[in-house]
Amino acid sequence: MTERKTGIYLCSGCGIGESVDVALLEGVAKKEFKLDSRTHACLCGDEGVAMIRADIEAGVNQVAIAACSARVMTDRFGFEPIQVLRADLREKVTWSHAPNHEDTQALAEDAVRMVLTQAGKVKAPEPYVEGEWSSRILVMGGGVTGLEAALQSAALGHEVLLLEKSDRLGGRALDASKRLPYRPPYAQPEVNDIAGLVARVGAESKISARLGCTVTQTSGMPGRFMVNLSDGSVETVGAIVVATGWRPYDASKLGHLGYGASPDVVTGVELEAMLKAGKVARKSNGAPVKSVAFVQCAGSRDPDHLPYCSSVCCASSLKQALELIEAEPDTNAYVVYQEMRTPGVMEELYRTAQSAGVIFMKGKVKTVGADLTVTVADELIGEDVPLAGLDMVVLATGMVPNSTNPDQPAPETGAEQLAGDVDPEAPFPVAGYCGDAPPAHAKREQAVPEGGSLLNLQYRQGPHLPVLHDGFADSHYICFPYETRRTGIYTAGPVRRPMDWAEAAEDASGAVLKAVQAVRSASAGAALHPRVGDLSYPKINLNQCTKCKRCTVECPFGAIDEDEQTYPIVNSTRCRRCGTCMGACPVRTISFDNYSVDMLSSMIKSVKIPDEFSGKPRILIMACENDAIPALDMAGIKRNQWSAHVRVVPVRCLGSVSLLCISDALSVGYDGVMMMGCKPGDDYQCHFVKGSAMAAERLSKVGETLKSMMLEPERVTQAEASIADADRLPKVIDAFVEQITAIGFNPFKGF
Amino acid sequence: MTALSPTPSKKYDLSFARWVYDNVDGGDRLALCMQCGTCSGSCPIGTQMDHGPRKLFMMIRAGMKEAVLTSNTLWNCVSCYNCVVRCPRKVPVAYILHDLATVAVREGYAEARNSDNARFAKAFWWSAAKYGRTDERLVTGKYYFSFGMAEGYKRGMANLPIALGMIKTKRMHLGMPHACKNTGELHKVLAKAAEIEARDHGKQG
Repeated sequence: MTERKTGIYLCSGCGIGESVDVALLEGVAKKEFKLDSRTHACLCGDEGVAMIRADIEAGVNQVAIAACSARVMTDRFGFEPIQVLRADLREKVTWSHAPNHEDTQALAEDAVRMVLTQAGKVKAPEPYVEGEWSSRILVMGGGVTGLEAALQSAALGHEVLLLEKSDRLGGRALDASKRLPYRPPYAQPEVNDIAGLVARVGAESKISARLGCTVTQTSGMPGRFMVNLSDGSVETVGAIVVATGWRPYDASKLGHLGYGASPDVVTGVELEAMLKAGKVARKSNGAPVKSVAFVQCAGSRDPDHLPYCSSVCCASSLKQALELIEAEPDTNAYVVYQEMRTPGVMEELYRTAQSAGVIFMKGKVKTVGADLTVTVADELIGEDVPLAGLDMVVLATGMVPNSTNPDQPAPETGAEQLAGDVDPEAPFPVAGYCGDAPPAHAKREQAVPEGGSLLNLQYRQGPHLPVLHDGFADSHYICFPYETRRTGIYTAGPVRRPMDWAEAAEDASGAVLKAVQAVRSASAGAALHPRVGDLSYPKINLNQCTKCKRCTVECPFGAIDEDEQTYPIVNSTRCRRCGTCMGACPVRTISFDNYSVDMLSSMIKSVKIPDEFSGKPRILIMACENDAIPALDMAGIKRNQWSAHVRVVPVRCLGSVSLLCISDALSVGYDGVMMMGCKPGDDYQCHFVKGSAMAAERLSKVGETLKSMMLEPERVTQAEASIADADRLPKVIDAFVEQITAIGFNPFKGF
Repeated sequence: MTALSPTPSKKYDLSFARWVYDNVDGGDRLALCMQCGTCSGSCPIGTQMDHGPRKLFMMIRAGMKEAVLTSNTLWNCVSCYNCVVRCPRKVPVAYILHDLATVAVREGYAEARNSDNARFAKAFWWSAAKYGRTDERLVTGKYYFSFGMAEGYKRGMANLPIALGMIKTKRMHLGMPHACKNTGELHKVLAKAAEIEARDHGKQG
């Protein structure tokens, strides 16, 4: 290995030079690290960049830049393959603290100390690229979503293996009459062109479709999944798009809405098939349907059945009513709804239905009699209205995601994985709320998806794709749609959330782009979202490993398996590089080339701690790079000010923070430690799903240790930060500094 | 010939809403009512109605034919057109109420035929159709005596001082009623309108 030669570059532009004495910063590098630094008034300008490049040509193989936040100027300060480390003197120092003040100066000097300490502890990561990599994409499900996904993958140049459980491609669209509007003016039902879509897939040479075929077992990792199929073959694929779609809610559970009491109470899916066949008639006597009532939310938004809205049933009923009126203009079509939900342009279809004379009644259906009398508690009149003399009652049932294969028995292992990953009874607050959260909703119950696993993953953490609330397979449908909690496996279409044909087709594109990225990144050894392009991966020194299995259990993505001797094995391309394993490991034997417990601890310890006579506390903030750091950057950009007594160490995720870092900080004299990161819990905002929750759990056990050290437990805290908290975080920091000042100085200071 | 709206005996009549959509003046727009309640909120005499227009429209959808056609809402509308102007879905609320009132009379709803407003409207129309003008004496007389001879005499006498005052200040004249220039033409126009109405409703029926 070549000798490390670090170059340190300081920028005095953007107000840095006017606010702190850069010469003193140079002195820190010179006296404490024996490094000659170079200062430029505009380091990101051509001249500054040329200066760094010249040094690299002259032998510098590691660059430390103390200038703006690491989140900006990444293109100017990118010198691949040379490792670049960044210290922020701008957003989180000069822009957010009093100029020419000794505390601001101390803050800037510590920033230089931290980055140069870090430089001594890391090296440029060497990616894991050994072995063969497949760029083939497996698409599970031959419905609209799967067909679109296959076409999109092929269009991007990838071979596609398309699996369909039944004996024909097309999925549920085959049994559907018209489709919902998908093009301007979005006002009329459109022709169902599923046959055309199937033909396009058939004509594509890159797609090989297997009918009547399911997956029996999946092992490996992105770039080289080994998939065993029910036809006995074993295929290697690079990424998997799960497009297993939906099934209608079991109407036999809807006895209270008359299903089963009369053959003329049918589901929307059954009516759709009748419309498709071109003959809508009463099942009981074959008479024509002159008068029909659609019952919306049949078993949906109902705590006893599906607690959620399936979002397409309203539009489907509108479409069906319009089709009935088109065939027979005198048809009396009632739609009984609680709220008409026609998201987006589907409102135009609603208007068309109104104009066509469909009659809308707002209220809950109380009973549906065997004589088809639908009694509605009409909210707009305020009394019960019996609709008597109907020919047919249509129950608009909701969509159940095929997150599992309902045809197969549940496997012996893994049920707890579906039930346990998200507490089904946990109260959940209003999602996506920044600031003080409103009170949580009441607890709600949720059934665990029934059936066998789709992929039968041979992972340490079980065979299933973990599901979110209501059994949908996703990891965070706002921030990271398509991503499941198993890297390289993406969901698209109604298995992810209820949606219609047009949305599913769009969803397929999204998932395919993710799958393509997964395939291409895997062979380069690069990480996927959210640390896109990161070449590092966790390395475990098995000589020190105690086989405690914490890393294999806590990894949010199931990346670490166990070998026969129960030693951990890292599947590098499954890894998202959050470092939760590193934070979990009690013997600190997991590290990355460019990130380790030792690196964090050394950075923490490099800060100059003023003695207690100075009257200045030192407070450590371990801040998550995903949301907390950008929020602090934005606070600086807005010139929000906060205490200069805090030192911020960016971390990949709070999950990567080992408790050793906290005890090190307290033992060297920090007066308080704040872990600043994303919201944990059921409505988490953690970019690594469980990282901040793991940090919170670990922190909950720190209190006792602190007490045994005669330290107040309040010295260590976890603060939630979201990306929009630029105005709130400075106040949170200042309040914590005040609290720590009130508690008094750390008695370990100076020892 | 006038098509009757469906089965008047049933309290909830599923086909009533579609009949109103198809046969009542402005009913096609009524289908677009989204129950926002702007009409009821804008109505200056909403407190004097059995049901505001919004609720009345929902009752039409529920098929509550009898309740709708006996409602005083149809008669108490003062045609200020606030609702028509403000309706976000351009439902001509006042027109619909007026035509529903006509339906109520045509179909013989006793309460409708005997309401104060119906009697007055009838007297007003009689004068307007006959002379092309409304004559204060004839309209009030016709209205008062619609309650019967004794009641008509009583009401007339009670208003005598006002009538005398109006004559004195030349607000009311004595002599022959005013008429428009060519009442014969007017009567032809009205006969044609009645013919068209009968033909159109007949076609629907």
